[in-house]
Amino acid sequence: MTSTPRRAVVLAVCLYATAVMIMAAIEFRPGGASPDWLLAAVAGFSVALGVFVAWRSTNSPASGGLVLLGAAPTATAAIEAWGESFGGPGSIPGAHIVAYIAPGVWVFNLTGFVVLASSFPSGPLPVRRWATISRLFLLTGALVVFVVGVQPEQFEADGGPLPGAPPFEMPAVVNAVAMLATAVLLVGVLAAAVRSVVVRYRAGDDVARSQLRWFVLGAGSVPVLLVAGWIAEVIGASIAVAYTPFMVAITVLLPVAVTIGVLRHDLFDIDRILNDTIAGLLTTVVAAAVFALVVTTAAQTGTAQLEVGEASGLAAAAFVTALLLYPVHRFLHRLVGRVIDHDRVVVLGAVRSFVDDVRDGTVEAEQVEDELRRCLDDPTLLVLLDVPGRDGLTRLDGTRYDGAPNAEPLVTLDWHDRQVGALVLGRVSKRRARIARAAALEARLAIDVSRLRMELRHALDDAHDSRLRLVEATAIERRKLERDLHDGAQQQIVAVGMRLRSAQRRLLPDDPTALDLDVAVASLEATVAELRRLAHGMRPALLDDGLAAALGKLAHDVPLPVRLYVDDFAVPELTATTTYFVVAEAVANVLKHAHATRIDVRVCADGDGLRVEVSDDGIGGVQPGQGLAALEDRVAALGGRLLVHSFVGRGTTIEAVL
Amino acid sequence: MKLRIVVAEDAVLFREGLVRLLEEAGHDVIAAVGDAVSLVEVVDADRPDLAVIDVRMPPDLTDDGVRAAREMRGRHPGLPMLLLSQHIEIRQAAELAGEGGFGYLLKDRVLQVDDFLDALQRVAAGGSALDPAVVAALVSPLRLHSGANVVALTERERDVLALVAQGLTNSAVARQLFLSERTVEAHMRSIFQKLRIPDSGDDHRRVRAVVAYLTK
Repeated sequence: MTSTPRRAVVLAVCLYATAVMIMAAIEFRPGGASPDWLLAAVAGFSVALGVFVAWRSTNSPASGGLVLLGAAPTATAAIEAWGESFGGPGSIPGAHIVAYIAPGVWVFNLTGFVVLASSFPSGPLPVRRWATISRLFLLTGALVVFVVGVQPEQFEADGGPLPGAPPFEMPAVVNAVAMLATAVLLVGVLAAAVRSVVVRYRAGDDVARSQLRWFVLGAGSVPVLLVAGWIAEVIGASIAVAYTPFMVAITVLLPVAVTIGVLRHDLFDIDRILNDTIAGLLTTVVAAAVFALVVTTAAQTGTAQLEVGEASGLAAAAFVTALLLYPVHRFLHRLVGRVIDHDRVVVLGAVRSFVDDVRDGTVEAEQVEDELRRCLDDPTLLVLLDVPGRDGLTRLDGTRYDGAPNAEPLVTLDWHDRQVGALVLGRVSKRRARIARAAALEARLAIDVSRLRMELRHALDDAHDSRLRLVEATAIERRKLERDLHDGAQQQIVAVGMRLRSAQRRLLPDDPTALDLDVAVASLEATVAELRRLAHGMRPALLDDGLAAALGKLAHDVPLPVRLYVDDFAVPELTATTTYFVVAEAVANVLKHAHATRIDVRVCADGDGLRVEVSDDGIGGVQPGQGLAALEDRVAALGGRLLVHSFVGRGTTIEAVL
Repeated sequence: MKLRIVVAEDAVLFREGLVRLLEEAGHDVIAAVGDAVSLVEVVDADRPDLAVIDVRMPPDLTDDGVRAAREMRGRHPGLPMLLLSQHIEIRQAAELAGEGGFGYLLKDRVLQVDDFLDALQRVAAGGSALDPAVVAALVSPLRLHSGANVVALTERERDVLALVAQGLTNSAVARQLFLSERTVEAHMRSIFQKLRIPDSGDDHRRVRAVVAYLTK
């Protein structure tokens, strides 16, 4: 089945082929002027693109428009050449009729543009008003051909190329009105075509908008370059130089842009390119206006010394323009962006204000994921962080991200050539990925702060874990040393003592050596006692009988009345040892500094842990941290905390929660 | 009185010294073993007059001696046992002290040979011998509140009890504390009352008082 777009392509290609044949006929007519082959060749590019699009994207209505973009100017040129050959030496058949059409036929150069504007990217708008634009254009074109064709100056009578006199005489007023009406009609049709682009953009989905942006990029350059061509012509450039960019725009730039729009609209970041282009153009216009304004003003005020005034006026204008250039560009960029690159500007604006809030401390940096989800309208988006010292990627809540990195649509975040994290998008397209990356870049501060805080948290956890491991290792080591002292050295000393005693028994009753042996054994006993004391300092063996027994012995050795309250409950070895030393050190402090008359020690269960209180009735006034560093370290190593309540004259209470 | 003794001690040097010391004192060491399992086997095979037992021994190197002693108590009621330890661990042994024929001494007491041999004889005769350091650790002027059952002995009563715990008689306590024997008896009556120890008419009442106080 031959679809409508394809039939249009075939017709348009036929038109191009016909035009080329006519041009060839003119070329080979002896004595005739050579037609514009360059134009035909360049236009052939557009025709080829149209055929290519028709082949790749069968249903795209743009292919016909594309071919027309090249075929129409070629046909126009052919008709003009055909008409011009009238009356010359190389005149070809039918030239006397075509000559009437040729003067106004230039208007059909716009056919491709109008067709594209009214049907790109997905065919004519369904509303009839818009669907008739192409037909209306053809009618208007015919009208232009007619009105131009009957202008008196076209005819021999008035020195024109056409034979005879105008077919009918028109009063000058009627003629002027007809000219004006035709011009208004033409401008109206063109405006309607442009307007249909706007309507289509507003109603279009993401893809259509992206495609239209490409079209606008190509088509927008056409009028701009046309104006530039006028200016260049006025300044004095040759017509070839002045209008070449314009012709390139309409025959190359626009077809390329449209082709990309149809086939690969995701190719580049068209939103940004378009935004930058338009903002740049507008800035140039504004800068030129400012420049002109300042020069004019300076010229009017500088009446006294005209030449100096002019020079200083130019300098002032350059200065003012330069001064304004950057802010104006920024302002315009944002303004244009709001219209053309709406999504990005809105998203980035929201993210920016979020980052400001983070900087002000009113929101937590870790909320960046929620914020990006909201801004990008992607409720399953994930922010992943690359935390040093951890394999793979980590989620903001500290858990490991275990999705397969290659299976998921990941947007990696690299700053300064270092991957700091990634985004996992729930909805994916190249365009969304680009905006998400830009948003993440904008939220860099929050993401980096989250990352650093997580790094810090991990480092602290690691430090705490390793401290606990050290304390545990120390406790085990102490226990082992204590055992070694008891079972090794102590036993051997006692055994030696026993041998001495045994030898002593074999001596005669009044042998003076017996006394020496008594002294030796006594010093061995003292050594054993000293060893026991040392071993006790490493880890009180009484802890084997429980915390209460060990603390009981401790309290017994204190030269002050000690009231001891110990709840009977099971305590892990490490906690028991720590508790014992905390009490021992606290009691030692009381004895040294407090001038107390009694000490209360209380050990009770406190939730999962244990609470130790050592209070005295001494002079008080202990400042936190004063000589308590060792105690604090012991307690902190188990993840506990130490509190000191001390008022001058009212005693001191040291409280440790383990 | 010559005793048939079993020695259980894993440190070879100390065991040899102890055996020699006992034999020189005229006792008969019928077996010297190095772990708790052998100890129980030896005692089962040939009931001795006394077992001298190290607290920390193979196989577990924790309180194997105490556990073996408890086991033997069940099988051979009234078997006198003297536990030796490197340091003060009482709780496990306290219940054993509740009956006669039990002693608990630090190892280095062995070096005071005469006192050690006295304690040996006392235990073998069904008396008790708790190390002064052990008693001191427990009979201390503090209240161990591990429940509502609080026993408040006076300071004097505690002193008396501490000496009784070491196996001293009332007259020996009286001499040590420079009191009259009647006063010591009065203190003991008060202690028995406070600790609710019924009159069983033997020496064990005194030991039970000590144990009751220590384990409260």
